[in-house]
Amino acid sequence: MYRNKYRLIIPFLIPSLLIYLTFVIYPYASAMYISLTRWRGLSQPPQFIGLANFQKMLQDEHFWNALGNNAVYLITLPTITLILALFFAFLLTQGVPLSKFYRISYFFPQLMSVVAIGVLWSFVYHPTIGILNSLLQAIGISNPPIWLGNPKTVLGAVSGVAIWQAVGFYMVLFIAAMEAVPMSLYEAAMIDGANRWQLFWKITIPMIWETLMTAMIFIMIFATNMFAITQTMTQGGPSRSSEVLSTFLYDEAFLGSKFGYGTAIAVTLFFIVLAISLTVQRLMRRDTLEY
Amino acid sequence: MASVTFDHVYKRFGDVVAVNDLSIEIADKEFLVFVGPSGCGKTTSLRLLAGLEEISEGNILIGDRVVNDVPPKDRYIAMVFQSYALYPHMSVFDNMAFGLKLRKTPKSEIEQRVKHAADILDIGHLLDRKPKQLSGGQRQRVAVGRAIVRQPAVFLFDEPLSNLDAKLRVQTRSQLTKLHHDLATTFIYVTHDQVEAMTMATRIAVMKDGILQQIDSPQHLYDYPTNVFVAGFIGSPSMNFFDATLVESDGKLEIHAGGFRLEVPEKKAEEWRPHKGREVIFGIRPEDIHSKQFTPPDILESDVVAKVDVTELMGNEIFLYLLTKDNKQFIARVDPRVRVSMGDDIELAINMANAHIFDPKTEMTLDAR
Repeated sequence: MYRNKYRLIIPFLIPSLLIYLTFVIYPYASAMYISLTRWRGLSQPPQFIGLANFQKMLQDEHFWNALGNNAVYLITLPTITLILALFFAFLLTQGVPLSKFYRISYFFPQLMSVVAIGVLWSFVYHPTIGILNSLLQAIGISNPPIWLGNPKTVLGAVSGVAIWQAVGFYMVLFIAAMEAVPMSLYEAAMIDGANRWQLFWKITIPMIWETLMTAMIFIMIFATNMFAITQTMTQGGPSRSSEVLSTFLYDEAFLGSKFGYGTAIAVTLFFIVLAISLTVQRLMRRDTLEY
Repeated sequence: MASVTFDHVYKRFGDVVAVNDLSIEIADKEFLVFVGPSGCGKTTSLRLLAGLEEISEGNILIGDRVVNDVPPKDRYIAMVFQSYALYPHMSVFDNMAFGLKLRKTPKSEIEQRVKHAADILDIGHLLDRKPKQLSGGQRQRVAVGRAIVRQPAVFLFDEPLSNLDAKLRVQTRSQLTKLHHDLATTFIYVTHDQVEAMTMATRIAVMKDGILQQIDSPQHLYDYPTNVFVAGFIGSPSMNFFDATLVESDGKLEIHAGGFRLEVPEKKAEEWRPHKGREVIFGIRPEDIHSKQFTPPDILESDVVAKVDVTELMGNEIFLYLLTKDNKQFIARVDPRVRVSMGDDIELAINMANAHIFDPKTEMTLDAR
């Protein structure tokens, strides 16, 4: 009976395997192929041109500009979001009054559509009717920046929204991980002489390390994408100063009808994300903890 | 090394009084065991002493110092947890060295102290391993090692043996006794297992519902339990209790229980006579009920017949589950040569020297000490 278990398992696996091949593997493979072609997306069949798209991409200053902006997000978003999320999670697991209320309110942005958030914050940042500048003027700053209209402030402004939106999610993730740490470890460390700061660094952080690694990968993938927020808030402007790879490829493909080139950028993005995930996993890998 | 004093200590969790007016003086180098059923306040008492819980009222002193507001790290204590609470991300060495590192102890001294402790506990070969690579017994020893290297004034143990299998528990018990002797430091130990308490303690504090019932040396606790609870809790199988009346007829004192009458030998009668005519709870330990056939010499014998309900052969002894005439079950621990089967009547010799009577209302002992 058990010797022949594969005869039973395989027929059951085949349908899901077929679906996976059709809807995941095939599109990926076909994207890989399209990235090697010149294709305007309409009638003409794609014309194979080898690595020409990639060659062009490497010489395209807009590509490097978009990649640079992604790099900025890749540095700012994980650092600030994760530090804030850790900070709030630590606070809210210390028995603060109203902690449930704070948990929910911090998590709230996660429940909203990113498009709604983008639109909402565009209004917050609005130079004349926005609440932010009204507040700044109210406290005596007569010439507040035009947040989304100035190349110097736009990345920061968009980052702020992304962080605002993401912190709650990671906070909840960390709270769950922190609450799973046995209390006796903290008690043992307290008796051993650890203060709060040492408890956090020597017990909490190592004990939630795997969650931290997962969070790091999530937020870095988020930072390499940033499509919806950018598209709804700035469309990459002003003058491409907040353009990221995803909005750049969207413009090239759907506005410029250069599907071959757009797909080449998408494929590059895919490998960037893959490389980041693998690197983070490699760098942060530690023994699985048992307790 | 230090003495420990609980001075009218209370701990309340909302409406629940977990520790109720606890006063104990624990001498330096003593091995004191808190014992009691779960929820009796023994672990809470230990955690109050460790500083892991705040005292609601009263004082706790370590040495001459009131430590109510002293953080755990400054109390010169070390604690072994029931779950061991080893840091899973650290090696055995780092687990043991953690407290010393936090206290900025020089590296050479850390190494020397960890090595010394590891030698005592025979875990020198495990220093590079992570806790998950250790067996339960090894983890337990690492937890003890972590306490030893700190050279605390007081060692606290919170049910450290309850996660070990029976055989290892017996071994570790004797190792802990030896460790206490070698380190010559105050040990305070919490357990629900009266055997652990009896075997290791210099004194036992029996607790129930947050209240200290009795604190005494193991032998004294066994011989002179102060109330029904202590009498029933210490000793295994537990003491048999019968509702009875102490009656004097023809100048002879007798215990009249529902299913039997027992003559009280004159030597014991002197002690109990002040209570004649009273209703009492009569208590007798299974080991003080002998088969008449194999009665040991020099006991204050009083005879009774009972019916055998179940027999349990232990090899070195037999547990007899017996029934009185009014079908009340009690246990006797008799000589292994006794041959009886279910339903037989057996003649028993009860050693009245070790019998106890308690007040049925207060459940306090009526024995003269």
